[in-house]
Amino acid sequence: MALAIECRDLTIRYRQKSGAFVEAVRDLSFSVKPGEVVGFLGPNGAGKSSTLKALMGFVQPIAGLCRVFGEPAGGVSAKRRIGYLPEVALYYPFLTPLETLTLYGQLQGLRGRQLRSEAHDLLDLLGISHVAGKQNRTLSKGMLQRVGIAQSLLGSPDLLVLDEITSGLDPVGRRELRTLLKSRRDEGTTLFFSSHELAEVEMLCDRILVIHRGRLVEERLVSTLKDQLRRHSITYSGRVSMVGLTDELTEIAPGTVTAVFETKEALLVAIERVQGSGQILDIVSREGSLEDYFVDTIQGAA
Amino acid sequence: MKLAVWGALARGVVLESIRRKDLWVVAILGFVIMLSAGALGFFGAQGLQVFVKDLAVTVLGLFSTIVAILTTCRLMPEEVKNRTLYPLLSRPIDRFDLLFGKLIGAVLVSWIAFLALAALTSIALLNFGVRFDLLMAQYVLGKMMGLVVVCAVSFTLSLFMTPSAAATLSVILAFGSTMIVRGLVMGYEQASPAIQPLFKFLNAILPQYGLFDLGGRTANIDWGPVPAWVLGALLAYMVTYSGAMLAIGWAKFRKQAI
Repeated sequence: MALAIECRDLTIRYRQKSGAFVEAVRDLSFSVKPGEVVGFLGPNGAGKSSTLKALMGFVQPIAGLCRVFGEPAGGVSAKRRIGYLPEVALYYPFLTPLETLTLYGQLQGLRGRQLRSEAHDLLDLLGISHVAGKQNRTLSKGMLQRVGIAQSLLGSPDLLVLDEITSGLDPVGRRELRTLLKSRRDEGTTLFFSSHELAEVEMLCDRILVIHRGRLVEERLVSTLKDQLRRHSITYSGRVSMVGLTDELTEIAPGTVTAVFETKEALLVAIERVQGSGQILDIVSREGSLEDYFVDTIQGAA
Repeated sequence: MKLAVWGALARGVVLESIRRKDLWVVAILGFVIMLSAGALGFFGAQGLQVFVKDLAVTVLGLFSTIVAILTTCRLMPEEVKNRTLYPLLSRPIDRFDLLFGKLIGAVLVSWIAFLALAALTSIALLNFGVRFDLLMAQYVLGKMMGLVVVCAVSFTLSLFMTPSAAATLSVILAFGSTMIVRGLVMGYEQASPAIQPLFKFLNAILPQYGLFDLGGRTANIDWGPVPAWVLGALLAYMVTYSGAMLAIGWAKFRKQAI
């Protein structure tokens, strides 16, 4: 089975107004399997949007290749299977959401009753059916983002490429979107999206790719990463040996020590040791911060 | 399939133009035409058919061309500026379809404006005993074909330069083409044989808007309709020139980073 996305040695270069060239993406290689949910992370200007644009054929890479389900990225066959949400799009201000979906649906190849029913279903699903007849220019940013999400779902694409999905959405909207994307994932849709919202990434993704200055700097499974980031600690009094479990010991008061462990197993052994010759004062098991990981990764790559 | 894509894109352009109130200029101008006709009738201008028809076709030509240029020049730059191009191009269509559909939309908008004005003008001309005859119909047809070329030129220019620069150049070409062509002919006659091909080349690549303008003939009472082959030749020129313009635009746009 063909990969949903395959980018190999992708290099994208732009010409600046001064005439000089700047490389937005350099030798970027990654792949996404069908049905996977992959988050594409990186600081501003890292090359995320450029990569997504190459996937959609909006920019031509100067080197490397990009394929979508085995088809050249940007080609009509590839685009037939993709739903795309741009980072910022205004949509036609003088058309209504229903007309907007009808226009994009017709371009997608939908016709007649199928188009009408799908457009209305998506308006319902995104909670914007009550503004279906109002012109886009009168809608709020969040409503427009919903119109954008609805248009990306037209034709039930096999791959959703979403650039900054939660932009403009309030917390309720984010939760609804998360539920919607999860249901699409459960139906087998491949999701590839960029986001600055690390919480969304953590809740949705199977895998993350971190890009910095146009290069891939990390590729991790979210489940493994979460395990690695989880921190366990015990605070105790008494003389207890933690040899073989951790070196991270801090004496917070005379005779009182806090020990930090990387694994739950180490913590359990430590508890047994303390129960034998000391007194447990506190036990903490805390989720690690994806934000800290992200910042550390970017700083490490700089 | 392609027809549906072009139709959808063109429909979007027409809907936007109508709702944006771009065509209000047509309504205002129509009102002015009716008012002027009433005033001329009141002051006893009956019998001045040549003057009235000349004025009518001049006004028609001027305003329909301006509507065509202004509508067309901003179409693609606005798509880029507002980023509405992204969701459009993410659809399974190629870039040529996008350009062609948009151009059809621009042509339809300019035709709507022109035909609405032409209808109002015809009604106003009835006031002076001028009936809508075959020559007038030929004028309308010729003008509609000319508007296609105007739109194609403006559309292509807008892919190479800013909307205001494209509009300015389009206006110069549209209203100065007769003068420019006359200058080229004079230059050709004066030039040495070595330079003459250059004038021929320039004359060939410039849009010959004057060919489509049957206004002068329409205004003259004594002149009759043109033979059908003339309209056929105009159609052939329109298709060739507009096709060439679209091809140039596509060559620029097809690999352009957006």
